[in-house]
Amino acid sequence: MVLVTVRLAPRATLEQAMRRLKLSEKDVDTGYGLVLIDPGEDLYGLRVSEAAARRIDPSAGGGPYADPRIEPYGPPD
Amino acid sequence: MRVLIQLRPSPDVVAAVADPGATATTADVADGLPGVALDHSFTPVAVPRPVPATGGDPLSLNQALTFSLAAEDATVMVRGEISDDELSTRLTLLPALHRDVVGVFADPVIEPNPTCGGDGPVGDWHDVERLLDVAGLGAEGMDGSGVALAVLDTGINTAHVTGRLGRDLTLDATRSWNPDGVHGTPGGFPVDHGSMCAFDALIAAPRATLLDLPVLLSRRPGGSALDGMLSDAVAAFAHLRTVLEAQPAGSRALVITNSWGSFSPRWDFPVGHPGNYSDNPAHPFNLIVSSLEQAGADVLFAAGNCGRECRDSRCAYPDRPITGANSHPGVLSIGGVDTAGERVGYSSQGPGRLTSRKPDICSYTHFSGSGAFGDREPDSGTSAACPVAAGVVAAVRTVWPASRLAPAQLRTLLRRTADDRSDVGFDFDYGYGVIDASGVISSLRRRAARVA
Repeated sequence: MVLVTVRLAPRATLEQAMRRLKLSEKDVDTGYGLVLIDPGEDLYGLRVSEAAARRIDPSAGGGPYADPRIEPYGPPD
Repeated sequence: MRVLIQLRPSPDVVAAVADPGATATTADVADGLPGVALDHSFTPVAVPRPVPATGGDPLSLNQALTFSLAAEDATVMVRGEISDDELSTRLTLLPALHRDVVGVFADPVIEPNPTCGGDGPVGDWHDVERLLDVAGLGAEGMDGSGVALAVLDTGINTAHVTGRLGRDLTLDATRSWNPDGVHGTPGGFPVDHGSMCAFDALIAAPRATLLDLPVLLSRRPGGSALDGMLSDAVAAFAHLRTVLEAQPAGSRALVITNSWGSFSPRWDFPVGHPGNYSDNPAHPFNLIVSSLEQAGADVLFAAGNCGRECRDSRCAYPDRPITGANSHPGVLSIGGVDTAGERVGYSSQGPGRLTSRKPDICSYTHFSGSGAFGDREPDSGTSAACPVAAGVVAAVRTVWPASRLAPAQLRTLLRRTADDRSDVGFDFDYGYGVIDASGVISSLRRRAARVA
């Protein structure tokens, strides 16, 4: 899965994001939900399948962005 | 970078250098090389000129040669240091700006093998307490009281940490947060990397309030037992912004310690792709880091364990291993030194990918501390160095909330007061130097006097 971004009104919901991006529940990691990235810009992020990200109209949302694996920096081997 | 500079001064100067009875100094040979901090304690050395036999190739060393120390043949070598971030410019300009310069060569440090992964501990956490002048911080009222210190890691086991510290700790379960799908009670996770980080953060800030955010326990698709996905960190930072905004504006104090990163470009979009993370300040995680820092949070990231001398086997970036938010301009990137003050061989070197001047500073690691990996195993990696530094930041915040000293100002203060390990300020091994809490205390006293 990948991250995509969308600009919405303050206190937006995942449902509003899905409507704006024309996505269904099967496209989206609903457990992850909608995350406010930058309140100054009303910019939100959500996690979607790569196929769904490819369908998003660039005028409606940003991305796709990588969601790389992260690991602890220790102990070194 | 330390360099050797080969010069061809006038023959009388060469003769003075070559004469064992004379005492020519670096100043006699080469004063005023622009951009070079000359080492005046180094006695210039005469370098003989290789001379081929008659008819030989003047450019080849693979032939019979004689060596001439005659004043008109020989050159002279002096020693100095060039700032890492000016290196290429200086190397190009020096011969053009100074006609005596013949060449500039690396002068690699010759030293015993640095501390590496698998080595035993170097000192213990009480040595770190002493080196960080925790008593001095405490005397200034800087003990972390009332400061929220968020540990984004594998979860904290408070019973283990209190047992090892020999004192109680404060953990705020209400403001802690689990990623979706991670079950467990704040402070009740199995003893692992996160408990080490919590222990190490509390060395300098014993009364800080821990927030437990086990982002590395994610079971999101694509994750495994002890790693997570960057999206979980995005969500964790979004939660922390609500924590920060719930604090009164005049006394905001939130320190976020991150001892993790992405080891491999395999999980990322290629550099240059608009969705790339490692080199892209517009990636959502890098944006949310900026947003939180601007709102008043202090964000610290470990520089990583991909140092040239003994890099972790997981390191897969071919160069510039300080990537993504670990190299963000709005965070402190923390390298590692042992309690002898020597850089550990696995501590990642700059330049960073989002910002060149990384790491910012170094802090202590590879000491006997939490015992999270076994009684005889050190708290190691830049994973330990980062929360040790975060503890100092949390201690400062006890008295100096973000409204009095913005995160950017505190970062500057920590860089300026760091114990410089080179002759020219910043370098890509130690950054601006080793964290110096005593220097921070003195500087803040002066600042308080000015404000009063």
